[in-house]
Amino acid sequence: MLTKLAPLFAALPLALACAHSWPEPKQPMAEAESASRSAREVGADTQPAAKLRVTLADEQIAEAKAAIAKGDNERATYLLVRARADAELALALAHEQNALNDKQKAVEKSATTRAANTPGAKP
Amino acid sequence: MKSISTLGLILAVASVGCGSAVVPKELASARTVYDRAATGPAASLNPTDLHTAKESLDAAERSFKEEGDSQVTRDLGYAAERNAETAESRARTLQAAAETERVIGQMHATTEAQGKLTTAELANANRQIASKDEALMAQGVALNAETQRRQEAEKRAAQAAADIAKFASIKQETRGMVITLSGSVLFTSGKAELLPAAQLKLNDVAVALTEQDPEATMVVEGHTDSQGAAAFNQDLSQRRAQSVRDYLVSRGIAADRITAKGFGPDRTIGDNATPEGRANNRRVEIVVTPKA
Repeated sequence: MLTKLAPLFAALPLALACAHSWPEPKQPMAEAESASRSAREVGADTQPAAKLRVTLADEQIAEAKAAIAKGDNERATYLLVRARADAELALALAHEQNALNDKQKAVEKSATTRAANTPGAKP
Repeated sequence: MKSISTLGLILAVASVGCGSAVVPKELASARTVYDRAATGPAASLNPTDLHTAKESLDAAERSFKEEGDSQVTRDLGYAAERNAETAESRARTLQAAAETERVIGQMHATTEAQGKLTTAELANANRQIASKDEALMAQGVALNAETQRRQEAEKRAAQAAADIAKFASIKQETRGMVITLSGSVLFTSGKAELLPAAQLKLNDVAVALTEQDPEATMVVEGHTDSQGAAAFNQDLSQRRAQSVRDYLVSRGIAADRITAKGFGPDRTIGDNATPEGRANNRRVEIVVTPKA
């Protein structure tokens, strides 16, 4: 996902050079909102670190919309860069927490299995 | 005044220049986090995301170089820091997933090994059970055979006893079971050699003695009437008892279970004054004593 941002970073100086003709950032908006939804779908709301990031992402998306409404597409574009980065991080943190939970369950199950298979252990 | 104004302008420009040289905290943090990510697990586990983080950091650096501490520089720095953190988080996720896979693999290996051990133990137990079953079956067969053999032996003994009853008397006395055979049935007068017919009768006696109680001991007693010399009668009774004993041994009675003894005319059961009494006194008795 992050690789998709590379062209944006490359294009930003050019866009900066002609700031007076910023287009409405429809694609960045769609991508930021999509990343935010994905983060919530994998449980970002239930994990403090991820929740903070997805909340920030949503706030910045809202600010971007306000900027677009005021005709400030440039500001909206950079707000969406921030929003998408926060949403991607929230998604990654949620995945990480889920992976850590899976690992903990596997370790506990392994310990139970090992105890059950130890000679003399009570079932 | 003009020189002062010029100095003020120079200071103002210098101030702006210094201000633009101050690195915004977003960019400073982005550099720190990126350096950490680049030297951590992400470098080997997640180089793609790390590369993207580097590109975003480069964009922030270019902005800083061109614009200094602008809002755009801060936004790009902010995004660069989040992207470096994302690269780190995904690397940690990959590490956790690999560790989970390793733990599950170990668990399966343990379970499989235990399963193999259990299977081996079960097979061993089944073999032991099968072996015991075979032994029990063999014991059952042997027991049935023994029971059948005993039943047949008892049947033969009963038949022999019935046959014996036709030519001998059988009584139960305190000294044991006493089979009394008439001397005239077994021997010619004055002789100790068994008559052919006597041998057939003694065959039945041998069967009965063999089958009924294999551990009983026996004494063959020879008795005569009082006619004739006592010494002759004593010798005759002994030889007749011995003759019967030897024949029974030849028919399967163990030699160490049976002895012979002659009593001559000493132990009468009839009146030697009458022919009938004397006939009763001429006899051979087989005394069967159960094992104590």
